[in-house]
Amino acid sequence: MFYIKIFFQYVAQYMKTRMQYRADLFVEFISDLLFQAVNLIFILVVFGHTNLLGGWTRDEIIFIYGFFLVPYALFSSFFNIWDFNERYIVKGELDRILTRPIHSLFQMVLERMELESLFGALTGIAVMVYAGMSLGLVISWADPLLFLLFVIGGMLVYGGIFVMIACISFWADARTSIMPMMYNIGNYGRYPVDIYNSVIRFILTWVLPFAFVGVYPAAYFLGKEEWLLYSFLTPVMGIIFFGISILIWNSGVKRYRGAGN
Amino acid sequence: MKDAITVRNLKKEFKAYSSRSGLKGAFRDLLTRNYKIVPAVNDISFNVKQGEMVGYIGENGAGKSTTIKMLTGILTPTSGEVTVNGMNPHRDREKFVSTIGVVFGQRSQLWWDIAVQESFRLLKKVYKVSDEQFESHMAHVIKTLGLEPLLDKPVRKLSLGQRMRCELAAALIHNPPLLFLDEPTIGLDVLVKLKIREFLKEINEKYNTTILLTTHDLTEIEALCERVVMLDDGKIIYDGALKSLKEKWGEGKEIEFQFLEEVEITDLNSITASSEVKWEKNDKEPIYTAIVEDNDELISLLIAKVVADLKVKDINIKETSTEEIIRNIYDRGIS
Repeated sequence: MFYIKIFFQYVAQYMKTRMQYRADLFVEFISDLLFQAVNLIFILVVFGHTNLLGGWTRDEIIFIYGFFLVPYALFSSFFNIWDFNERYIVKGELDRILTRPIHSLFQMVLERMELESLFGALTGIAVMVYAGMSLGLVISWADPLLFLLFVIGGMLVYGGIFVMIACISFWADARTSIMPMMYNIGNYGRYPVDIYNSVIRFILTWVLPFAFVGVYPAAYFLGKEEWLLYSFLTPVMGIIFFGISILIWNSGVKRYRGAGN
Repeated sequence: MKDAITVRNLKKEFKAYSSRSGLKGAFRDLLTRNYKIVPAVNDISFNVKQGEMVGYIGENGAGKSTTIKMLTGILTPTSGEVTVNGMNPHRDREKFVSTIGVVFGQRSQLWWDIAVQESFRLLKKVYKVSDEQFESHMAHVIKTLGLEPLLDKPVRKLSLGQRMRCELAAALIHNPPLLFLDEPTIGLDVLVKLKIREFLKEINEKYNTTILLTTHDLTEIEALCERVVMLDDGKIIYDGALKSLKEKWGEGKEIEFQFLEEVEITDLNSITASSEVKWEKNDKEPIYTAIVEDNDELISLLIAKVVADLKVKDINIKETSTEEIIRNIYDRGIS
């Protein structure tokens, strides 16, 4: 309960800070919208040339992509930790975090949130609606709830993987360039995994389960019965991966050496 | 009374790897690294009572910050026991930190972009401080530190002195019984320093707040702390009253003379040949300093002898400053 209250306190503070720079906010809003519009057009153009990919129709692939954008947007809003090593380990900002009575990872999430990234979710939903309409999908009453559940699951999968990568900094001194690589691998989850080689598929399902951010949950809404089990595994995988990442984080914090001053 | 801080055989070792020189060395480093275990804090023990103000001093790299970080739960000790406010700082960290306040002089606790009062308000929520408590306590803090005109300014627009006062206030939002200050007045002007000292004394008296202070500014220690813990190379080399440190290692008194006529050191030596005196001449001014044992009779005897033989313009009796004492200890070691 306390964490939820604190979360909204930080959100309110974030908005206030943002609103102090009115011109900035306006420009950012416009540029975000433009960015998302360009993104949307890009997707339609790229997929316009492919009609069938490994048994999936063009609209299905667009739908998966649209779905992927939603958990991804949530992930980028709240797990903005790509510069964790420099900012918190090398500069020693973690010192400050550790002297406050809130879980350190949660504080990082609060401090680094970028709510503008949520716009990406709107694009994603727009893409899904477009693709859904051309596919003639029907929405049942449970769908919005399941959608929410899958989106959160996907976000947790993504967040869990990146928290684990950030944790490397606790053990290794030098900065690693794994982060950008992971962003690339993360993109593979946008495409139907059965078009890949079985090894890659296994990796994307169980090792770096990016498939749970895109294909698997989206498949449920596309009515792909054969993927049903995987679809419903999404929240489970999210909880497992995120849970493991918290455990690793907690033991990493014990190894934190601080920055000399 | 219960101790606020108990430290037993505390040790912190860092694993550092030393790189070999040159390109060839770099390649060898890739395969096998030379690890060295460096003890930053080496087997220290001390207690701090509730309400005490303790100065924690030492040269750069002596292990001050490392100790503070272990006491605040940021770092895990390699071995040894730490109990602060009845808790193990690292194990119970989230619960523990709401009983302490921390100011790191070189690191900001406040949010850069938001107004000072917003930072306070957010911290108030973080530390679950009730409105009444906040009102009564913080109103006082804000007034004493003179923060009213700064409250609606964003932190990035404050000067260093203004920011440090706000940092101090922020560390006290939950009115902690124990306050850690790591070089709180580094780079501040005299007026702000004085204000902060006054304030620290006041909260110490009012709330019986324990304060552990590290600083390079010894006047600060002199003004605030009765007890000092001195650290060198990760070990405690002195723990006790500041006064007895002076008595023990103060190298007697210095008496400065200025004469009306030209005087040579040899003259002075012959005048005072009967007593144990060391004469020194100042390089820039014609001032001669006699260093003698701190003994009133000896001093008056010396002055009498000098005044009888030479025309004196000015006499000045000085005690060795804490700074000199500490410099001497570091130069020569404790023994």
